[in-house]
Amino acid sequence: MMKRISITAALLSMTACSTAPLNIDRAELADARAAIADAKAAGAEKCAPKLQAEAVASLYWAAHELSETDYHPEENQQLTEDALNKAKAAKKQAKINCAPKPAPKPAPVKQEIIELKGVQFEYNSATLTRTSTAILDAAVETLVKRPDIRVEVAAHTDSTGSADYNQQLSERRAASVMAYLQEHGIDASRLTSKGYGESQPIADNSTEEGRAKNRRVELRVLK
Amino acid sequence: MKLFTLILALVSCSWTANAALLSVDERADAMNAQLQGNNSYHAHLARQLADVASAEKAQHDTAVAKQFIDMAEEEAAKAGGAQ
Repeated sequence: MMKRISITAALLSMTACSTAPLNIDRAELADARAAIADAKAAGAEKCAPKLQAEAVASLYWAAHELSETDYHPEENQQLTEDALNKAKAAKKQAKINCAPKPAPKPAPVKQEIIELKGVQFEYNSATLTRTSTAILDAAVETLVKRPDIRVEVAAHTDSTGSADYNQQLSERRAASVMAYLQEHGIDASRLTSKGYGESQPIADNSTEEGRAKNRRVELRVLK
Repeated sequence: MKLFTLILALVSCSWTANAALLSVDERADAMNAQLQGNNSYHAHLARQLADVASAEKAQHDTAVAKQFIDMAEEEAAKAGGAQ
């Protein structure tokens, strides 16, 4: 008799201490299961790993709670809803995080500029100095060698004087250089002129050296 | 002898439970240390399952706590440790 009681007690204690394997295939978990599978297909394990893990853990926990004999419907429903909602959130987050990034904008093509270093004008005038013509002759040669390009003759001033005056002066100087190029054989269809006044300084206008750099003419290649 | 067997059988459940109760925290701590800095899906799932194990342990459901910490360790192994 004692032996039977011992065996029964041992079996009972083993049963009490063992746990049933988690059954996540229960009907109550169908929606959560589907949502988790959906999120996984959307890349949630890679792109929203924390949310997806929370969803899966909630599913396992709900599966356990549903298997218990002391049934807590509210707690079970809460865990099931947690799994469902986390999976939905994981899918949404995965779509954002895994969305292909837009192709980077191509780097702006740096405009080719043919500098006309040393081109100078009479003071407050658009008349070219003698020394400038040699430089412009070299520019003519360049343009002859490159018949496929069009250029904008761009003239700049320093900031001495009013902006309006400098604008007009730069326009006259640009037109003067363009006229020289035309007179020396460059077709007018390949040339435009524009004055930028004092709007695009490349050096400090508070020093004489800076102002000299800012007073300049350049050819901007338009292709 | 028979009486000893009976007593042993009766206390075995609670003894096992106490052993598990002590080990769940230690195992969770070891696992968390191993996964430090690892933010992969398996690492997150391992932590979540370890949290469930702790919650179940707090409710004195040690067998379930052990089941969840076992699962957590399996996921931790898949996560590949610290990163």
